[in-house]
Amino acid sequence: MKKKSSIFTSQKFIVLLVVIVLFGFFSIISQNFRQYSTIMSILDYSYYIVLMSIGVTFPLITGGVDLSIGTGLICYSLAGGYLITQKGMPVAVGLLVTILLGILIGLLNGVLVAIMDLPPFLTTLCTCMITRGLGSIFSKGFGISWPAAGADGGWFRSIFKITTAGGTKIPIGFLWMLIIVAIMAFVLNHTKMGRYTIAIGSNKEATRLSGVNVKFYHVMAYVISGFFAALAAVAYSAVFATVQPGTGAGFELEAIGGAIIGGVSATGGAGSVEGSLIGVFVICLLKTGLPYIGLQANWQQIITGLVLIGAVMVDIIKKKRAEVH
Amino acid sequence: MEKIKQNPIVKKIGFNRIVLCGVLILMYILFSVTSKGFAGLPRILSALNYAYFLGFLALGVTFVIATGGIDFSIGPVMFCAALIAGYCLTGYGMPTAVCLVISILVGFVFGCFNGYLVAYWTVPPFIVSMASMNIAKGLASVFTKTQSVSWPQAAEAAGWFRKLVKVGNFPVGLVIFLAAAVICSMILNNTKAGRYILSLGSNKEAVRLSGVNVKKWEMLSYVICGILVGIAAIFFVGAYTTVQPGYGDQYNNEAIAGCVMGGTSMAGGLASIGGTVIGVFIISLLQEGILALGINKNYQLIITGLIVIVAVYADVVARRRKN
Amino acid sequence: MGEVILTMKDIDKSFPGVHALDHVNFEVKRGEVHALMGENGAGKSTLMKVLTGIYTKDSGTITFEGKEVEFHNTREAQDAGIVIVHQELNMLGHLTVAQNIFIGREFKKGIKIDDKRMNEEAKKLFEKLHIDIDPAETMSNLTVGKQQMCEIAKAISHEAKVIIFDEPSAALTESEIEELFKIIRDLREQNLGIVYISHRMDEIKVITDRVTVMRDGTYVGTLITNECTKDDIINMMVGRVIYEDPKTESAVPADAPVVLKVEHLNAGRMVQDVSFELRKGEILGFSGLMGAGRTETARAIFGADPKESGDIYINGEKVTINSPQDAVRCGIGYLSEDRKRYGIVVQKTVAENSTMACLQNYMSGLFINKRDEKKVAQDYVESLATKTPSVDQLVVNLSGGNQQKVVIAKWLINDCDILIFDEPTRGIDVGAKNEIYKLMNKLASEGKSIIMISSEMTEILRMSDRIVIMCEGRKTGEVRIEEATQEVIMNMATREIG
Repeated sequence: MKKKSSIFTSQKFIVLLVVIVLFGFFSIISQNFRQYSTIMSILDYSYYIVLMSIGVTFPLITGGVDLSIGTGLICYSLAGGYLITQKGMPVAVGLLVTILLGILIGLLNGVLVAIMDLPPFLTTLCTCMITRGLGSIFSKGFGISWPAAGADGGWFRSIFKITTAGGTKIPIGFLWMLIIVAIMAFVLNHTKMGRYTIAIGSNKEATRLSGVNVKFYHVMAYVISGFFAALAAVAYSAVFATVQPGTGAGFELEAIGGAIIGGVSATGGAGSVEGSLIGVFVICLLKTGLPYIGLQANWQQIITGLVLIGAVMVDIIKKKRAEVH
Repeated sequence: MEKIKQNPIVKKIGFNRIVLCGVLILMYILFSVTSKGFAGLPRILSALNYAYFLGFLALGVTFVIATGGIDFSIGPVMFCAALIAGYCLTGYGMPTAVCLVISILVGFVFGCFNGYLVAYWTVPPFIVSMASMNIAKGLASVFTKTQSVSWPQAAEAAGWFRKLVKVGNFPVGLVIFLAAAVICSMILNNTKAGRYILSLGSNKEAVRLSGVNVKKWEMLSYVICGILVGIAAIFFVGAYTTVQPGYGDQYNNEAIAGCVMGGTSMAGGLASIGGTVIGVFIISLLQEGILALGINKNYQLIITGLIVIVAVYADVVARRRKN
Repeated sequence: MGEVILTMKDIDKSFPGVHALDHVNFEVKRGEVHALMGENGAGKSTLMKVLTGIYTKDSGTITFEGKEVEFHNTREAQDAGIVIVHQELNMLGHLTVAQNIFIGREFKKGIKIDDKRMNEEAKKLFEKLHIDIDPAETMSNLTVGKQQMCEIAKAISHEAKVIIFDEPSAALTESEIEELFKIIRDLREQNLGIVYISHRMDEIKVITDRVTVMRDGTYVGTLITNECTKDDIINMMVGRVIYEDPKTESAVPADAPVVLKVEHLNAGRMVQDVSFELRKGEILGFSGLMGAGRTETARAIFGADPKESGDIYINGEKVTINSPQDAVRCGIGYLSEDRKRYGIVVQKTVAENSTMACLQNYMSGLFINKRDEKKVAQDYVESLATKTPSVDQLVVNLSGGNQQKVVIAKWLINDCDILIFDEPTRGIDVGAKNEIYKLMNKLASEGKSIIMISSEMTEILRMSDRIVIMCEGRKTGEVRIEEATQEVIMNMATREIG
């Protein structure tokens, strides 16, 4: 019998080490990098990716994928922002609409994949385009700025960042991330929702034969993904000044890449929420750090792509080894 | 109905394709009636401009889908090829002919990369596509220093490549595209490569046990796709001149839409080049119609998305019924 | 042994073309282990599937605990207390043992799944069964044997009254079988009724109280295990000699050249140190029970699965076969037992399937010469008498026998000298069977050499010139057709446990 893997050889731990090493590396190379403001900016960048990543972990574990989260995020944010800025609705209503829209698109994905049996990547590629179109239509093609921090209705920005009287910025959003990761880790590991998500990714037919309502839980995995894309939309709107229609493509790579680097299997069945969190930080560090060592921001796209492929290859090699033994 | 389906001529062309042709004609009539001045050569030429590059993308992805795989890096890779080749032309002053070859080469390299990972490493195609899509975008931005690139105009000496698209009002591009479609159809139906690509899409293990090197052929489908994407880039700049880094994703969906609408099955093993060509014309006409009617072009994203979902669902239902 | 808990009476079940169960009777008493025996295809599994609601019976009655019952799915049967431990495992590899056992009926504390309690309950179950498995271990880390134990634990946790073991020992090592028997004895002590399906004669003698034998979908009889011998059971399984014109002597001269020689082939647990020779013009039968390692041996020779060691000689020359490509180059053709998965490409036509292995011979320059392709396919349609409207027909529309002929044509067109037929007549009706047999004889007389894997004794005795018998991944015997009888073969195919 194989001995239980110790925490120090787990992928999460190794990736955490990578995060620390990367941070150390950038700090040593560049003086500008080791500033409080840089850390703030890394965190600002991380919130929406972390949230998307937590959500997409669920469809990934079922053996599917959700490619609509990136453009979806922009779409939900534009819809909510439009109601606030153009229709004069309260920010709370805007937030609510943002989140409901996310759940709705998640539900649509879930029904198409789990009940109508469409291939997940193609379905969500379509909803990716649909949400992109919808976002532009909502905003009439213009960028939308949610209320600024000091302005009327700007309170929601302080969910993620508080500026003290002395002007110091406190990244309170990071605390929220930890709390949400803890909650979703609980959901994944200790509730029926999570248990059946893993079971579906492991062997859908056997799960069905055990009397589990497979379709419901399979749909729910996509609803969770949509809901978290909407939360990410809130984070994005709170952190950045303006939301531009037509953007958002590529965010999903960062989120899915983070999840896979953090140990989610590209073929389903295995993964963890905390792993996804750590994985995202590898990507965020690369994104923020590369310009400090003289590489343009665009390199980050290339490197993220390669890191993703590398992470999947490691997974495949591990599986092949396991088969031999 | 059954009688019509059994008619030998109908059978030869394929019932689905006849229906698609009907849809295409109906759409044309509909747009001509609803939009003043839609009927006539200019709009048709404009729609064709769109159909060329999209057509090459769709032809390419048909090979990949025939193996049961998917490639949605084609749009960004096309932009990457157009940007890199264009920058060689405008930035480094290379001859046009060389730049056209570079464009095809870029597509070829991405095809090899995707195909190698999918066939020899068994990386899921959607992961490869996602990674390649971003690598293509990043690479193009890095290469062009995030500048857009404008290819030379027809009047300039270096702009001779535009004759590939259009000479006067004569659509040379259409001739080339249809010729390419015929060649693709021959490859798919009359060569060893096509035979094995379709067969392995249907039952990979049975083909492997017949002593066929399935990995090689699976990779080849991505390589063919890559080359066609490189050609698509030439027709894109031939019609639209300017390319911006960071874009190109929407064409993925439109190409895949043309392909699945034409009767190529997402499950692999079934592909129709003729269907893909008609599907591409429908998408292009739709784009032109939306433009002519002054409808927000974003509706096209939504409509294309819905078309793919409906077409794929129809395929799923058809397969379920067969079993 | 207590009173009767389960009675199945006059159970009848037909599938299109097959009378799978012909008025079968079967009963189980509390506190007994009742063996259900028969050759492959005798109807044992079908009977159990009818019992647990996977199939619906055409007629007959099932009485359970004095009441007539009819289950519509396994869930209903489970709830009533009849559970089946399947041969193939339905495990969720990414979950823990306890999570697997209680999947679909987890204990909860509020919204939280109470894993601690599930682990405890699983532990209690294992203690009851005297099995040493950590309930918190991930399922995929367990050996196949341990996974089987978990399946049993899962079955028992349903508060079963009758447990059906469908060939539980097929994948177990000897010590694991010992463990399994201990568990079964314990369950018997607890007054459960146990149905034990197995091919292994010696296990039957060790563990069971009564034996019911089935043959060709009919009930043959029930014996008390202690009062009968192994030969009695074999005689009942085999029945009267029913096969038509069995081969009496080999047509192959003793000095015919050896075309294929396999030495010390090893490939996993199912192929251990297998050696044999195949002569020109010979049909070499591979006999054995299900899971004996015959298909695995064939696949390893053909390069379909990796092998660990062993040498293969073709016409006296040592060859390296690492992939089906290599095997095809060496002139070997393999006809799989699962045509749909491994033999044909259903969406392609007869002609296209026929040339799959040697397309390079039908090219004019870059293009496939479809006229030549169709012509050669047509030639083989005629010479094999394949029933198809034309060579342009999709093979999915052909019957099983004709699909098989298309696969045979594929290898003949490639001019293979060595053909491996794996269960060549499975799922093929009687008329077509005879045609396949004739064809094989014709091929052999033309100088082709054939390995025929078959689970049907009559087929083996009718077709083979020589017979290799396998059991548990090892070659346990080899007989010439002149010496072969069903009893001799069955004896070699059923293993003595130490």
